[in-house]
Amino acid sequence: MSEVIVITSGKGGVGKTTSAANIGTGLALSGHKTVLIDTDIGLRNLDVVMGLENRIVYDLVDVVEGNCRVKQALIKDKRYDGLYLIPAAQTRDKSAVKPSQMIQLCDELREEFDYILIDCPAGIEQGFKNAIAGADRAIVITTPEVSAVRDADRIIGLLEANEVRNPKLLVNRLRADMVRRGDMMSIDDIIDILAIGLIGVVPDDEKIVVSTNRGEPAICDNKSLAGQAFRNVVRRIKGEEVPFMSLTEDQGFMPKLKKLLGLKAN
Amino acid sequence: MGESIVSFKAKGNELILVMREEDDFREILESISRKLDSSGRFFKGASLDVRYRGKKLDEEQERIIAGLISEKASAEVKSFEEDDISQEQENGYEYVEPDRTKDKLKMKLLYFKGLEEGMTKFYRGTVRSGTLVSFDGNLVVLGDVNPGAEVVATGNVVVMGSLRGMVHAGADGNKEAIVAALSLQPTQLRIADVITRPPDTNGPRQGLLPEIASVRDDIVYIETFLPQYK
Repeated sequence: MSEVIVITSGKGGVGKTTSAANIGTGLALSGHKTVLIDTDIGLRNLDVVMGLENRIVYDLVDVVEGNCRVKQALIKDKRYDGLYLIPAAQTRDKSAVKPSQMIQLCDELREEFDYILIDCPAGIEQGFKNAIAGADRAIVITTPEVSAVRDADRIIGLLEANEVRNPKLLVNRLRADMVRRGDMMSIDDIIDILAIGLIGVVPDDEKIVVSTNRGEPAICDNKSLAGQAFRNVVRRIKGEEVPFMSLTEDQGFMPKLKKLLGLKAN
Repeated sequence: MGESIVSFKAKGNELILVMREEDDFREILESISRKLDSSGRFFKGASLDVRYRGKKLDEEQERIIAGLISEKASAEVKSFEEDDISQEQENGYEYVEPDRTKDKLKMKLLYFKGLEEGMTKFYRGTVRSGTLVSFDGNLVVLGDVNPGAEVVATGNVVVMGSLRGMVHAGADGNKEAIVAALSLQPTQLRIADVITRPPDTNGPRQGLLPEIASVRDDIVYIETFLPQYK
């Protein structure tokens, strides 16, 4: 049974594309045939984050316009088997794709893939409508900022209006130290407002920037805390019960020792 | 200043009158008369096939305009009839950017042959991400081509700057086409139907020289072209 999952947020820059790349890679790593679809036409990024930009010949618009077969537009990932990407068109407009065409494409991909992940553009216009059209489930990304939470709330409302059932929340770029000082919204604050189930909490991690620039998802980095968080998200998507990572880890033994030695605890 | 009531387009021995539906016949007649007064000498002694479009005219009105033209321009009006737009598209007289998708569908038997000398477009400025610059002929970019940008030409492509985006030369199938750039590091390089990309392992290359890419036996070769570096 295959599933179409849209990754959306409303606000830009909260980590939709990074999350899509990491979750997609994680699903493929755990043996599920996965395809990522970038629907941000005109501002595509997923191909860059995946490091597949130079392999693009056909894109989403070519597929829906019938210039090529779906198979021709599927770009195979250079590292992992069973991971594919359909990139967005760069020199076209969002209006080049209609929601009905997205539904058709998703249905076609269902036959071949276990998971179809859709990377949604920022905003609530045409691109958003396209992205959610064929989706069974949604993951709403937010950061612990008032503006991002506000936009996430709007998105959840729109998802419910469009009958995308039971959206899940992924809180990205959380900084445990700031939460502890009371300078940042906590998970509980966010859930209080949004009132939906939590699927993951990803801490702010410098390694994400490095991996994004290199075109290698952080989920493969065993040392990365964000990578670990994404691995947990993947397991929860598959239906496993995984306890949430302790976010007060930096009060553990090692950071305390580091503090003692005068090293910066982080 | 709006669009003028009547405009003339000349093509060979044809004179095309473009009128607007909403204007009444008297105004049109006056406008034609004024135009002929100022530029009528141009047609002197010619024998013209006159076509009109944009407004339906009855026979009487056709006769009046034909008479006016022959009188004021001292030209012979051989025929006078409504133009069949479906046969000759309005844009047949103006240059339009080639529509790639249409070109693809229509199998072109002849590709662009002006590689050595032919139609050339000069694009001044940086071609940024999301921009497509295309031309049915040779293309020269006086600036950089950034990643995410596309540069497509049926002839050669020359970039007087860094080429980092996608480039497609000989887009209608001409394998003789070349790509040259002061710094050639494209995301993807296509000549006719040959598609290449830089190897994954390579980081940014150092000390770049102007280079030229061409196709021999379906393989893209990249060489420097300045003699002192050969």
